Amino acid sequence: MTSTISTLAALLFVASTTVVAQQSDHQVQQDFRADYQELVQKVDEASSSDEVASLVDEISELEAEYSGYADLLDQALYPDTFEQRIGDLQSRLSVTQDNIAVIEDLNERIAELEAEIEELRSQLSEMDEDSDALRERMERSAANERRLSGLVSQYRESLENRDAFVSELLDDLMRRYEAMDAETQSEIAEAAESLEDDPLALLETIISEYINLADRDAGLEAADFLRMRAQHGYFDTIWDKIGERMASAYAPDRPVQAEQEITDLLSAWEASVNNKLWGALSSAFNQNGIELPEFTSDDTFNNALNAFVDDAIAVAQEQNEEADYELYRSFSDYWNNTVKAQWGEHLIAGNVLSQSDIAAIDVKLGDWGQHAAPTSNLMFILFLISLAVIIGLIVLLVTKKN
Amino acid sequence: MAKPKLTTLSLCVALLFGAAACGPSLVLEDVDYSQPIESVIAPDDNLEVHDQRYAVKFNIGPIIEEEGVPAEEVRLIRNRAGYYFLTASGFNNVYVFESAESELKLETKIEIGELSQPAFNLRDGNIELVDLGTGETYTLTHEGLR
Repeated sequence: MTSTISTLAALLFVASTTVVAQQSDHQVQQDFRADYQELVQKVDEASSSDEVASLVDEISELEAEYSGYADLLDQALYPDTFEQRIGDLQSRLSVTQDNIAVIEDLNERIAELEAEIEELRSQLSEMDEDSDALRERMERSAANERRLSGLVSQYRESLENRDAFVSELLDDLMRRYEAMDAETQSEIAEAAESLEDDPLALLETIISEYINLADRDAGLEAADFLRMRAQHGYFDTIWDKIGERMASAYAPDRPVQAEQEITDLLSAWEASVNNKLWGALSSAFNQNGIELPEFTSDDTFNNALNAFVDDAIAVAQEQNEEADYELYRSFSDYWNNTVKAQWGEHLIAGNVLSQSDIAAIDVKLGDWGQHAAPTSNLMFILFLISLAVIIGLIVLLVTKKN
Repeated sequence: MAKPKLTTLSLCVALLFGAAACGPSLVLEDVDYSQPIESVIAPDDNLEVHDQRYAVKFNIGPIIEEEGVPAEEVRLIRNRAGYYFLTASGFNNVYVFESAESELKLETKIEIGELSQPAFNLRDGNIELVDLGTGETYTLTHEGLR
């Protein structure tokens, strides 16, 4: 047994010495060059942290495998050295590792962004479903006025919640993109190619749903359409500030078209709101006894208000009748308690009337109040009485002297 | 009479030594010509091989004619003394050349037998020939097998 082991050991020794003897230095350096080149390629093509970790081991293995031939390789690789080649591999790997870290970070951001958009879409969709359900119930309950009124209030509330949600989203977009630097923009543009859904598409969906809401009408009143105009105005302002940056970031191949698409949708939304707004405003004023001249735009609405008040002032100046004063009081109440108090903020935010337009009507309303107030005869009567007393006293004095 | 002759002779000898000292007789010794790793070079269509790294170019036509087999690649190495050793797969011999002005002069032809996968290594200033096909190893000098 012992002799068999000895024989095997001897054979193994002879075999190993033969292998050593058969070595070709040229082959060693060729093998090293091939292994090195293969590793360079692997390092350059690595695309994950796991691959980098594995390559760290492979480089160590290469170094260990050839370190015994370092002198030989130093001569073969002149003017490079074995140590330099290993160092070069490690430097390359370090650069690759940094690049992968950037890519993985970008992928993470893409995933976060997609999840965020998905969450936003889901919330909006839920809100839209609630609004649709309420609208359908309103249509079914058209005969029951009390029930309908309650549903309209709920519907209005759901729309207000949606507006608040969208405004919050817009604020968030504003924070992110208003001060976005060129580096972030280019990073996003790089990531945008991999995005299945992006914020531009989300904004398009939101605006399209706003257009549907405006077109549906569904028992909404002037105040609701003014709120829509205000929401549109806010959206428009935000888009003016961040539209170009967002389009460049998320549609780097066609930024101008992408920006224009959303701008066009915003215009369509405004047109849909306007289709309902002017009629609803006219009805609201009419229901309060104020018959404004016809209007179909912001300017003509302002002109109609001014024309109505100017005419009323002229009539009050000329007639000064009780009816004029009644009209003045009616307009003044509606103007102050409804138009300014309830709609004022939306009128200004929606660019329907400006602060100075409202102030100008206020000034005219003051004039109208002065001219419409009924004139009193009390002073004239007091004058006559005073005159009579004076004449009486003079007559009394003359009579006493005589 | 003998004194002037001796003086003249001494002067001649001194001049001879002086001239020799000023001539091109400077010798640098212990030059190491060894090439650490063999060069493996494919001959071109004209059977010229060009070792760009060690800057030597020559035609192997006469060797191919001598061996009677073609060579896809020739293996070339230089020992410490500056002799070139050349062989190739299929050759029976290793050719040892001494470099001279614009020529390589055959110093020795070392007969080995047919080499299937020859490779040269430099070992301690000597040339080692390995036939990777047969596992045979030989130590060569410019004079022959050691």
